Formats: sequence, structure tokens, C-alpha cells
Amino acid sequence: MSSQTDSPSLAWDGTRSVYSTLAALFAYGVRAKNALVYSSAYLVFIAGVEVATTMIALSLPLSPAPLVIALLTFAVYVGDRIADAEADAATSPERAAFVTRYRRLFSIGTAAAYGLAVALSILGGPTALAIALIPGAFWILYASDWLPSLGRYFSRLKEILVVNSAVVALAWAVCVVCLPLAYADRAFTPTAAVIFGYFFLDTFVNTEIPNLRDREGDAANGVSTLPVVFGVRRTRHVLYALDLCLVAGIALAFYAGVLDAAMTVGILVGLAYALCLAWFVGRTERYGRLAIAGEAKHLLVVAVVVVLGAVGF
Amino acid sequence: MWWLISGRNTVLLTTLLLVSIAVGTGAAILAWRERPKPGALPLVALLAAQAWWSTCIVFRLQADTIPAKLQWLQLGWIGVVCVPVAWLCFALEYTGRDRYLRAPYVAALAIVPAITVVLAAFGGHDLLVVESYTTGPGDVVHFEQGGPWYAVVAGYTYLLGLFGVAAIVELVTSDAIAFRGQGITLLIGLAAPWVTNVGFLLGAFGTGGVDPTPIAFAVSGVAYLGAITRYQLLETNPAPRRRARRLVFDGMREGAIVLDTDGHVVDANGYAIDALGIPRGAVLGEPVERIVPEYDHLRDESTAGHLRLGDDDGRTYDAAVTDVTDVHDRHIGSIVTFHDVSTYVRQRQRLEVLNRILRHNIRTETNVIHGYAERFADGDASRIVQERAERIEAVGEKGRQAVELFERTRGTHTARPLAVILDECVEAVRESYPDIDVSYDRPADHIAVASVLAAVFDNLIENAATHNEGDERTVMIETRADADDVTVVIADDGPGIDAQETDVIRDGGESALRHGSGLGLWIVRWGTEIADGRTEFNDRDPTGTEVTVTVPRLDGA
Repeated sequence: MSSQTDSPSLAWDGTRSVYSTLAALFAYGVRAKNALVYSSAYLVFIAGVEVATTMIALSLPLSPAPLVIALLTFAVYVGDRIADAEADAATSPERAAFVTRYRRLFSIGTAAAYGLAVALSILGGPTALAIALIPGAFWILYASDWLPSLGRYFSRLKEILVVNSAVVALAWAVCVVCLPLAYADRAFTPTAAVIFGYFFLDTFVNTEIPNLRDREGDAANGVSTLPVVFGVRRTRHVLYALDLCLVAGIALAFYAGVLDAAMTVGILVGLAYALCLAWFVGRTERYGRLAIAGEAKHLLVVAVVVVLGAVGF
Repeated sequence: MWWLISGRNTVLLTTLLLVSIAVGTGAAILAWRERPKPGALPLVALLAAQAWWSTCIVFRLQADTIPAKLQWLQLGWIGVVCVPVAWLCFALEYTGRDRYLRAPYVAALAIVPAITVVLAAFGGHDLLVVESYTTGPGDVVHFEQGGPWYAVVAGYTYLLGLFGVAAIVELVTSDAIAFRGQGITLLIGLAAPWVTNVGFLLGAFGTGGVDPTPIAFAVSGVAYLGAITRYQLLETNPAPRRRARRLVFDGMREGAIVLDTDGHVVDANGYAIDALGIPRGAVLGEPVERIVPEYDHLRDESTAGHLRLGDDDGRTYDAAVTDVTDVHDRHIGSIVTFHDVSTYVRQRQRLEVLNRILRHNIRTETNVIHGYAERFADGDASRIVQERAERIEAVGEKGRQAVELFERTRGTHTARPLAVILDECVEAVRESYPDIDVSYDRPADHIAVASVLAAVFDNLIENAATHNEGDERTVMIETRADADDVTVVIADDGPGIDAQETDVIRDGGESALRHGSGLGLWIVRWGTEIADGRTEFNDRDPTGTEVTVTVPRLDGA
């Protein structure tokens, strides 16, 4: 007694099984990419890396600061995605659909993340707590429903040229530099000031890149951004100028002995990369990817610093 | 009150406090996103206050110097005293009692917390909130709190907590699962810190003088999170219920006077106040007999009847008294409800007068005309006058039928066998028009319809016979019944009804230029409508009309 098998069919079934597995893996990959990009979760990692850069530059001991900043970033950015999902439906329908689909999960997740960030920040003392409460303070100030005049005043800040991006850059630089300092209970040194200036200007540049994509919508809504006021070409020139100012400032800090060689080289490599990205402004319409590439610069900086440190530079 | 707190306990205490802060802050953000739903902002304030209380304790534990520890102890009072006020505001707003949350009331609620914060901030704790400390082994600092103002704050906190519970507890007995869930979780959220605080005050915890109540707020936070995510706290909220009921009570087009068990007026809606013509203040608290003199008569009349209220302006009200009972079926009061039926009463009186005129006066006058017409020398003239007098009498008869129809709209339908109604109509037609062939499909005896249909079938069958022409005149009556309805088809082979007649009846109204020729078809329409039925007019081929009347059966088939 024997059982016969149809070999060609088996082979076909095997091939089909491999294809279906690959297709499933591809679908998971796409879903993971969507989750990272649409929810801005990749920024969480980059935010942690930025704090790590500060800690390396200032020789600070290990602390929960990177984790706190990562949690705050998740809470703020994903919280904004949830709040803006309706408005995003016109400009970024796929992202809006993704956020709407997982709205409840994101809502609970961001609330939990912010609660955990606040709790952990208490370990860094009152200053760290105050920094962790900055996003919450902005939520309250921007909420025009219960303090209408104050809410409208702060909401108008979003519409003023330079001020809108500067507020974001300032809040970000304060968090990234001052939080690890608060955990370490260290003073604000000249090196900290240089790193603060670097993150402030760099964040300003990275805030204006997405504005290139949103320039039509911003113009319609009366929001003044560099691309709206100066146009794409001049915006590119402004970004060049800001990056070059940073290059000069970092070089001066190095010659003044405020910044060590490894950190100086790391940041300068990052700025060279940023100048390359600025070249694409006006030469591509994929500003979403350009913005992600701009954020990813911090990975390059910390990688260069770590490698140089490892080789004893 | 002395407690020893070790270094390991401090770590555990700090960890638990941090958990409470994380949960409270997270829940506060979820509540913040639910603005402006009722209760959202007070809940944010409640959770933020407990998080701040916990935060101050952590900083107090971390502080290196006595002044720094005292500073955090004093700052912590802000959270301590805000919690009960926020809780009560939440409970009142969430359950729709927001009228108690006007600025003056909230300011009054905030007096005790404000005094406490001022005392803590400006050294008043030496006078009213006794706070002493001693450094024990291992430089562990022990604090003791007490004094008269401490007792006031504790009592005030528990009092506001109880008021809040009283408001929330009604949710637990709600019919809606979501509200029951919300009520239970909210009470759990309150009970956890309450029990912990009682334990602390009784010395049950070895926390070195540190009030562990904020730690229990972690349980509260989890409960509130559960209420928000599982029972749609803030999303599905009961706040509109109380307002909606009040709105309906005040806005309904019916008067309502609420009485207590002693017959005193405890509430009255706007309609009732207008009808009484007395200011609300003069109505509330008064014995009902003084406000509604006919109240005793009303109760004696099986709790329903007619009333006259306030200034005797000729208005008549149809009134009823309904007893109000509690969950144990005990009588706790009554509601007198009434609505204006003056127009209806006046119409009925006019119909009664009209009925008398149609029934007696027209018949009397036509009899007189008849009598005098017989004396005419001219036979043709006498015949024509007598015929016209008969027509006038017929019009009067139809008018009387119409008035009786309107009278019958007042009550429920009286059932009558259809066969009996049709038998009478067929018999009358056969008697009046012996040369007409009446084909009659008699229905089963048990089929009953509204008695008002007698006038309908009388008119239809008489009409089919009267307006028939030719040598062979036929009237056919067929019936068919199903479980719910019975259909009667009356057909003739006459010239048919003029289209204008049926159009006017179908449209339901006449004008000076567009009208029917009599009352018969109107009686058909009105009678069928009163019996909850419908009528359909169709032409027959080659000539004649077929009228189909479909009405509900009242024999309970």
C-alpha cells in the first residue's frame, strides 16, 4: 500500500507558500513603516539620540533624561497628529486615515507616555519637572476654549513669521539641553550654551523644511512661514545661511576650547549633511522625506562622535 | 503621631507616589481632551491636584534641608485642599447639577482651601496647623501635623467628599450599564484615598508622618482611566438628563402642580403658573385647596375631571391627579396635571345647538311648508314645492348625521356588527327604491366595525340608488374580511360621480369656486376617518361607480 503524491503540485504549493510568507512579511514591513512615519514615532528615537548628544558633549552621567524626552516627544507629536487628523485629511490623507484608525490607542498611549515622563522627571528635581511640564503648559495656553483671550494670543504666535518656528526651536532646545543638566544637577556652562545654540538653530531649520510642503495651506490660513513670505528659492538661501552660521559658531567654539574635537567634527559632518539637504529645497517636492532626512542628521552626528571617541580622537 | 521611616521604605514610598503621579497625569490628559464635556475640567483639576500633592511629597522626601522639606510640605497643601473642591465640582457638573457651580458658589467652596493655603504660605501653620519635626536616627526627619485648622480641613474634605458621593451614587442605580459602570468606578476612585486617609489618621501606616493618601490616588487614577476607556466617562455623560427633564416639565403644553403628602404645592411649571395667574412665589408652599379650589372634588371624581382655575375667564381645564410613589411604593406626593379644553367645550356646545336646529327647527318648518303646499290650486306647483321641502329636510338630516359624527370623535369607537348596519341600509333602500335590484353579499354576523360607519354606508348605498338611471338599475354590495380589516365595496351602474365631487372630497377642502353638491360624500369621508379607515372611489366600465371602504375590525378576530 502506498500513497502517491503529485510532485509538480507540491512544488507549486511550496512556491506559493514562500510567496505568501514574503507577501505577509512585506505587508508587516509596510505597516511598521507607516506606524513609524505616520505617527512620527521615529522622532522619539531621534529625540533620545539628541539628548544623548548633549550628555556626551557635556560629559554628563547617565540619567533617565533621554527616556523622558522620548516619552515627551511621543506624547507631543502623536498628540498633535490626533488633534490635527481632521485638518490633515486634505493634505496627508494616508497619514490622517492611519491616525484616525488607531486614534483610541494613540490617545491612551500618548496620555500614558506623558504621565510617565512627568513622573520620571520628578526624579530630576523641580527644574526637570518644570521642563517636562512645558508641553502641558503650551496645551493649556493654546486651548482657546477656557481662556479665550490668552488662547487666541498664543494661537496667533503660530501665525507670526520666525516667531512660530523660533518658539518650537526654543522649547525643543530647552528640553534637550536643560533636562539632562537638571538630572545631573549641573550649571549651564558655555559648552551647554553652544550646544543649546546648535539645537536651537538646527531645530529652526528642521521646522521650516516641512513648511515648504505646507506653504499653500499655510498661506490660505494666514500663517507666515519662510516659504510663504520669501518663496522657495530664498528659503533655501536662508537655510544655507543658518547652517553656515552654525558652522562658524561651532568652529569658534572649538578654537575657544569650549567644544572638544570629536563633538566638533561630529556636528560639522552633520552640518555638511544639512547643507546638502538644503540644496534639495526647490529641487524636489518630496519635502516630507527631506524633513525626515533632516531629523536623521542627529543619528549621523552621534555616530561620528561615538566612532571618533572609540578610536581615541 | 510618630512613625519611623527607613531608607528602603522611602524608595518604596517614592516609587508608589511616582506611579500615582504617572497614572493621575495620564488620566488628566485624557480628561483634558474631552473638553468641553460636562465634568472634564473639574476632573482635570482633581487629577492635577492629587498629582501635585504626590509630587510635593516626593520632593519633600528628596529635599536635603529642613527648610526645603517644610517648603514642599507647605506647597503640598495646595493639592490637598484643591482635591475635595474639584471632586465636588466634578460630581455636580457631571450629574447635571451645574446650577450649583456658579462663580459665587465655587468661590464660597474655595474659602476654606484659600485660608489653608494662606496659612501654610505665611507661617500661619504655627498658629493653626501645628507642624513640628524631629530628626531621628539616620537623619530621618519626622513631621507631626495637627491642630484646630487641620481638623477643620479634614472635616471639610470629608464633607465635600460625602456631598460628591451623594450626587454620584444615583448613577449606580441608573438603568444604563454605562452610567452604572461610571458610578461604581467613580466611587471606587473616591473610596481608595478615603480609606487610606482614614488609616493614616488612625495610625495604621508606618510612613514616617507622610500621608500616603496620594498613593491611593493611583487606584483612583486607574479607576478613572477605566471609567473613561471602558464606560465612556465624559463621552456618554448623564449631565443633560436632569436639565432635559426640567426643560420638558417647564416647557410642556400642560399644567403640572406637584404636591407633597400634606397637599402643599412644592413645584409648578410655567404653564400652571400662567393658568393660575398667581406669582410662583405665592403658589409654592401653599395648600393646594387654596390654589385649586376644586381639588377635593377632582380627587373624588376618580382623580379626573374638569376644572376652572385662577380668574374665572371662562376657561375650562381637563385635569387629572396622579399619585407619586417611591421605590417602596409608598405615597410621597401627587401631581395635578391639566390642559385647556375651553375651545373643545365651546365647539361641543355649538354642535349641540346646531343639532337641535337641524333636528327640530328645519323639520318643523318643512312640515309647515308641506301642509300649506297641499292647498295650492296648481297641482304642479304644489308638487314642486313639496319636493323642494323634502330636499331641505334631507339636507337637514345629513347635517344632523354630520353633527353626530363630530360628537362621536370624542369617545372611543363603539363596535357594532357590520351585518346589522348593512341590513338596515339595504332594507331602507329596498323599501325606498323597490324597482332597484340590490345585490347584497351579507358579511358574517360576528364581524364588528365602528358604529359610526352606519352613516357612511347609509349615504353610500342611498347615493348608489338615488343617482341610478335606466331601466335595469343595480346596486351591488360585497364584503370581504381578513384578520385585521373588513372591506365593503358598493357599486352601481348609474352615471357615475362627477370627478369634481370626488376630487374635492379627496383634497379635503372646498372653496367658493370649487365645491361639492352636498354633504353625503363628506359624511362618507369624515365617518371613515373617524373609524380609522380609508375610502377609494373608482369608475366602473362601462358606467357606474365603485366605492371601496376599508376599516379595521373591532371584533378581535
